[in-house]
Amino acid sequence: MSEALDPRIKLQSMLQPVNNFHLESSETCLEILSAVLEEKGEKDVVILSKGHSAPAFYVMLHEMGLLSDEELYSFADIDGLPSHVIRGLPFIEVSSGSLGQGLSVGNGIAMAKRIDGEDGYVYVILGDGELDEGQVWEAAMTASHHRLDRVIAIVDRNYFQLTGDTEEILSKEPLADKWRAFGWEVMEVPNRKEELKKALETAKKLEGRPKVIIARWEV
Amino acid sequence: MIESFREAFGRALVELGGENPNIVVLDADVKSSTKTAYFERAFPERFIQVGISEQDMVSMAGGLAIGGKIPVVSAFAAFLMRAWEQIRNTIARDNLNVKLVPTHSGFSDHMDGSSHQCLEDIALMRVLPNMTVVVPADAPSVPVLLRQVVELEGPVYMRLGRDHAPRVYDSPKLELGKASVLRKGSDVLLVAAGVMVSVALETARKLEERGISAGVIDMHTIKPLDEETLLKLASKAELVVTLEEHSIHGGLGGAVAEVLSEKMPKRLIRIGTTEFGRSSRDYFALLERYGLTAESVVKKVEVMLT
Repeated sequence: MSEALDPRIKLQSMLQPVNNFHLESSETCLEILSAVLEEKGEKDVVILSKGHSAPAFYVMLHEMGLLSDEELYSFADIDGLPSHVIRGLPFIEVSSGSLGQGLSVGNGIAMAKRIDGEDGYVYVILGDGELDEGQVWEAAMTASHHRLDRVIAIVDRNYFQLTGDTEEILSKEPLADKWRAFGWEVMEVPNRKEELKKALETAKKLEGRPKVIIARWEV
Repeated sequence: MIESFREAFGRALVELGGENPNIVVLDADVKSSTKTAYFERAFPERFIQVGISEQDMVSMAGGLAIGGKIPVVSAFAAFLMRAWEQIRNTIARDNLNVKLVPTHSGFSDHMDGSSHQCLEDIALMRVLPNMTVVVPADAPSVPVLLRQVVELEGPVYMRLGRDHAPRVYDSPKLELGKASVLRKGSDVLLVAAGVMVSVALETARKLEERGISAGVIDMHTIKPLDEETLLKLASKAELVVTLEEHSIHGGLGGAVAEVLSEKMPKRLIRIGTTEFGRSSRDYFALLERYGLTAESVVKKVEVMLT
């Protein structure tokens, strides 16, 4: 596979043999992952709470030269790359696949850093369907109560979840207001790498409360 | 001598916290009941309050473990079970160094009734890969085992009752993963965990009066199970009896039955519950109702042996 190949094409060809496993929700995660991995400092932690976007993550690792063609194409082979990310993969501190737990884990990592006086941000990538899980909002309360301002959540606001439109399954809007009401600093940006990177830069400078970037997918 | 599991836990945690700065404690707004409030008083900067949200608490503990801490999570056992999936998918699957130490297990929360009593947790924890399951028999066992639990790398479920903890040991020398043989006997082997160890000892004395010789094992570590000691003592016995303040399905009785049926088929009585509990102003009335007394066990043993 050529390095010059567009990440979306890579993703499609990688998922073609596995019945397009989570293709769309991986596509909408490509630019988010790309922005986060480019912004990530040495002491920062990335949590892919929407673990089913693992294919997008593998494409990014391939782009960075951390996975070979052969490895990329081993996706979901019994001894190949796991279908959802697991602890031990590059950058992956915690396994996911079950929704709603990553923000809590991220809060715990941020809390450990605070106790130790260590630097570093914790980026937690959430799906918009994932926000149906009550635990996300438990964690949202915990993060703002404890002023975990090193936590930066990014919501992949792609407007669809497994069986339909997010607003038909369980409405999320007004989404920004919800996060604000939970004590978070909210930024809304189009789901494009450069805008996301700018938002991440801004988020890092804001102190005193956790931050969420709602990355809206624009068709 | 009657002491308290949760008091022993609260105090042991402060002692360990003073020795090991990596220990952090998480609470879901029950610190006065679980006695982790003592730790908060001693080390406020290492005490994390998450409010009434056990699921968030468990996953957050996972994050703290990833960050190099040794998180101790406490709650009522029944309510910690609402985070079973978090325990499975984050703590156990990633083999994270999280110590789950619930109180109020079994019938010990007698007043609060079936919603608060927890008779299923050993089964739910025992089934998880990587998880160690520990059930101390009395208050002096708590600091001895808790120290080893904290030193062990990996997830542990250490099940405690609330207050009623009849003294079994004066100064216990317990080793995690190694069954403690309290009494040897030739006819019957009583294998017990938690508060039922004292009931097993009482049962053995009563059987002795009837001319039946009974051995007693404190199986404080239910997973990994000390099969060697179990099989060694069971080989001499005609009958094995398991005793636990838990369902007979999947807990200590289940674990012992699995080992015996594969390696040394024996007649077996599992003493435990098959139903949900109920509220009772008297804890002992519950033990009696559900057959968890020495008198009740003696009767079952006599029926089986005659």
